[in-house]
Amino acid sequence: MQYYEQAATVSTPWVRLDPERGLLELVGESYPANSFEFYRPIVQWLGDFLQSNRAAVRMELELSYVNTGSIKSMLDLFDLLEEAHQEGRSVQVVWKYDSRNPRALETAEEFSDEISFSFEVLDTHMS
Amino acid sequence: MNGLDLWDLRQKLDEANILICFNGPLSQSIIEQLGVAVKRYLEAETHNVGRLYDVFAVYIEQSQNIQNYTAGKAASASASPAELQRYDSATIAIGRLDDDHYLVTSGNPMAKSDLPPLTALLDSLAKLDADGLKACYREQRRRPREDGSPGAGLGLIDMARKSSRPLEYRVRDIDADTAYFHLTAVI
Repeated sequence: MQYYEQAATVSTPWVRLDPERGLLELVGESYPANSFEFYRPIVQWLGDFLQSNRAAVRMELELSYVNTGSIKSMLDLFDLLEEAHQEGRSVQVVWKYDSRNPRALETAEEFSDEISFSFEVLDTHMS
Repeated sequence: MNGLDLWDLRQKLDEANILICFNGPLSQSIIEQLGVAVKRYLEAETHNVGRLYDVFAVYIEQSQNIQNYTAGKAASASASPAELQRYDSATIAIGRLDDDHYLVTSGNPMAKSDLPPLTALLDSLAKLDADGLKACYREQRRRPREDGSPGAGLGLIDMARKSSRPLEYRVRDIDADTAYFHLTAVI
């Protein structure tokens, strides 16, 4: 399994996929022209990771805006994680958001409705 | 005066309280840069971050819907270069409707044959309340992609959910096969 890191752009998040720590991180905003193409290698990586071992997996997301195209691809990630959880693996998702942006929390809630594993929401806004 | 009177155009945009307006072929970098400008402007004007992201999201979904439509036309083997040029154009404006509402409006040439499913969806969304739109959104986002593209459906539902009144559209004839489709969201 390859370690993978990709810088953020205006419309795509910073991405880090770390097989050593079983950690997948996305930080930024997500509205690429072709979200399917952008997420395909990430979905592929997660699928390969889950195939290759039985280790715990953790996904950390800090996304202030996700367009509808990206939502579909992120559901693919959540589906893979849900399946792994159903098979008995330790799966955890942490969603970081700024409480001044209620839409980021709503996006999180609509994802958490779809899954049964641990989904933690963390407010990063220091008041 | 020959040609375009820019002062006249500017006056019209000002009267309609338009903050930013674009007309021409769209690209991802144009969408991004206009989006950054929209966000900066709204950050200076409102402390309501939720509202800011609603306006931004509706702008992104509208412009990407048009971009996807143009890309779909370009990918279809039957389209002639003249036809492609005709579809590769968009008008997008973001402005203030009144003290409490923003407006995101866009228009683009479309094949008349592509209009019926689009207007049927918009008509059905206009009848739904917030819960109905939410249910529709959840159903649509689980639907498989067509050719790797999410399609306009989810974007329109998302816009409808973020708008404070039903999405409005107008269709104007361009020629026998083409119409100008104009969509407006009030946020």
